[in-house]
Amino acid sequence: MSYNAAMIPRQNPLDDAYAGKSAETRHLKPGELSTGTTIMAISFSSGVVLCADSRVSTGSYVANRASDKISQLHDHIWCCRSGSAADTQALTDYVRHYLAQLAVETGRPPEVKVAAHLMRRLCYENKDHLMAGVIVGGWDPVSGGSVYNIPLGGACISMPFAIGGSGSTYIYGLVDSEFKENMTRDEALALCKKAVSHAMARDGSSGGIIRTCVVTEEGNVKGYISGNTLPYGPAGW
Amino acid sequence: MSEFTLSPTSTPSPPGFSFDLTHRNALIAQSAAANNPGKLPKALKTGTTIVGLVYSNGIVLGADTRSTNDTTVADKNCDKIHYIAPNIYCCGAGTAADTEKTTETIASQMELLRLNCGSSTSRVVTACTLLKRMLFRHQGYISAALILGGCDVNGPHLYQIYPHGSTGKLPFTTMGSGSLAAMAVFEEGYRDDLEEGEAVELVRRAILAGIWNDLGSGSNVDTCVIRMDGSVEMGRNCVTPNDVGVLREKVVRSSVLDMKRGTTAVIGESFRKRSGGGVTLEDVVITEMET
Amino acid sequence: MASSGSGYDLSSSTFSPDGRIFQIEYASKAVENAGTALGLRCRDGIVLAVEKPLQHKMLVSKTTGRRIHTVDEHAGVAITGFVSDGRQIVGRARDEASNYFETYGTKIPAEVLANRISAYVHYFTLHGALRPFGATTLVAAYDPATKEHSLHMVEPSGVSYEYYGCAAGRGRQPARTEMEKLSINPKHQQGGGGDMELIDVQEGVKQLAKIVYTLYDASKDKPFELEMSWLCEATEWKHVGVPREFISAATEWAKKEIEEAEEEDDDDEEMEE
Repeated sequence: MSYNAAMIPRQNPLDDAYAGKSAETRHLKPGELSTGTTIMAISFSSGVVLCADSRVSTGSYVANRASDKISQLHDHIWCCRSGSAADTQALTDYVRHYLAQLAVETGRPPEVKVAAHLMRRLCYENKDHLMAGVIVGGWDPVSGGSVYNIPLGGACISMPFAIGGSGSTYIYGLVDSEFKENMTRDEALALCKKAVSHAMARDGSSGGIIRTCVVTEEGNVKGYISGNTLPYGPAGW
Repeated sequence: MSEFTLSPTSTPSPPGFSFDLTHRNALIAQSAAANNPGKLPKALKTGTTIVGLVYSNGIVLGADTRSTNDTTVADKNCDKIHYIAPNIYCCGAGTAADTEKTTETIASQMELLRLNCGSSTSRVVTACTLLKRMLFRHQGYISAALILGGCDVNGPHLYQIYPHGSTGKLPFTTMGSGSLAAMAVFEEGYRDDLEEGEAVELVRRAILAGIWNDLGSGSNVDTCVIRMDGSVEMGRNCVTPNDVGVLREKVVRSSVLDMKRGTTAVIGESFRKRSGGGVTLEDVVITEMET
Repeated sequence: MASSGSGYDLSSSTFSPDGRIFQIEYASKAVENAGTALGLRCRDGIVLAVEKPLQHKMLVSKTTGRRIHTVDEHAGVAITGFVSDGRQIVGRARDEASNYFETYGTKIPAEVLANRISAYVHYFTLHGALRPFGATTLVAAYDPATKEHSLHMVEPSGVSYEYYGCAAGRGRQPARTEMEKLSINPKHQQGGGGDMELIDVQEGVKQLAKIVYTLYDASKDKPFELEMSWLCEATEWKHVGVPREFISAATEWAKKEIEEAEEEDDDDEEMEE
């Protein structure tokens, strides 16, 4: 007895949960919120730029069109979240807690490396229950500005720049060709905005506004570009 | 041989994909479609429209009052705006039992926290954190989608909380099956500088959009205004578009259907004194109390 | 000590009426009679030295009963007192160092290591069922994050302080007096030359050897072996033992210095006559 694939009726109850989802969001539980996302971070001479779109979706519905996916972990350490909103929020809460504790014990600001290491440990040790891709970036007195990428499996890779989320696949080429070593703050910020706006235009699960955060020794500068003034994209959004 | 298994073949299974289970799945789907009880667990679909927004001087929350069980309306006038603290309220969508138990648990924890701190009001972030931690701990199995709103020392705050434990802080938000209809109203009518009257009116319109356009939502509109001065105004059933009393009044029943006094003939009457066999006041001898 | 206790010295969980905990004082006494341990913070690193008494003529002293241990790549401790108690502390210090690295991905800072060790030692002074450690620990550590090296000492009571130079064990008082004469404390430098005026580890090894041999009286004291380690720029900030040839050279130099000084003293005496 054999079946033609076309004959197979669509009866798997999970099929509905899979419908209209990108590869990254496919492993979410039904109804779980996803930051089907474009996130990015670049380190420059004296700090880092972090950048993210603002769309949070459940299936095909935009649950939040102006969310903030750039979360603070410590005074000068931030992260961009992608994957399950619930998982990444819980993760950042834990890392924030551990860093605060460490800062009290050592009496000095924690290193970005430590924040990334903590995030990696949580992601790796709970990988069976989590859906989280995180980019940790920030400034510390030891290494200056640094960026760490922590993808799905729980690796932790130090990088001059990192991109992540479902939208990142559309801009690998763009960022690879435009990235230079030792960019200035403004060059890095401009590249982030350009790349993320391109990803938002092509990726259905990315959109809304662009949020940015520039971290240097002097402090953190948060900013945003509203949807109708993006560097690239359909006009009049 | 059960009807769910394929007929046995003595030949070894062919190489490549195996579609054995598609046959079984098709039968299960068929039996589910025929609504055979006990064959396949049916997913519980709950419908609701809840909304919340921030206005110049506080928070307005809104909810419909329909509670459903499958396609049946279980309660035509239920209460979906739950108390968390004197200055914080929370709308719940999802499984009614879960939303009620969740908000009750957190309300209790907030009260204990206030007693511990000796304060009269709570902070909205605290409630939000407690709720998201509880929901995240249960990995989405507590089906409660919440809109949490309140005013504290830091100003008015509005949070949306999803069953898996993710939260968002927003100026306006909607949840439940009617959220799409309600969001359409909010997206069209929301401004940053709404006055209280305008805000309440917008919330009513959003809930009504859910009531009319979503099958899972219906009946009346409940609102709740939480102001920065700490006062709370519950607008329970502030709009009752589905009140059938008015219509019922208008029904003119044929006089033939009214039973007039004396329709039933009285054949005879008799009265008997009740004797319960117990002690009555008449049996008690009253004596003066010795002082 | 029969009078000092009067029942208040049976447990470290009991205070005496004048506010002392005798068990801790007894533990400190145990350290006071053990071999001298010295630590010196120099311009370019830390030197640790311990005088290890040779209890037995047939002891294989080079490999057994070591008093200086490496806790992490960049951290080492010297112990004195009850050596077995000290090894317990060393084990805990190693656990703390590796646990910190496992958790945070960076090397444990010196003050955190010292604090964790002191918390461990202090715990043993809190419970009636436990006996305080009869050992003092000198912690030498380098912090790659701040690029600074530091020296801490943890006592049996659980207190820990950072030092330019510190000593524990039998000869600690005269040793401290000798160390105060060395140029190790930047605050006390006269010329204002800052770090450059401070001695380096090479000089530190010689000076520590000299101190140890100054305190030693061959006619009264048991023979001993001098154990020394350092953690400095030259070792890429790794905690390693000072090469044996270097220790012997330093010892030779120290003995000569002491002899010369004694001769001078004799001369002085003659002049007085």
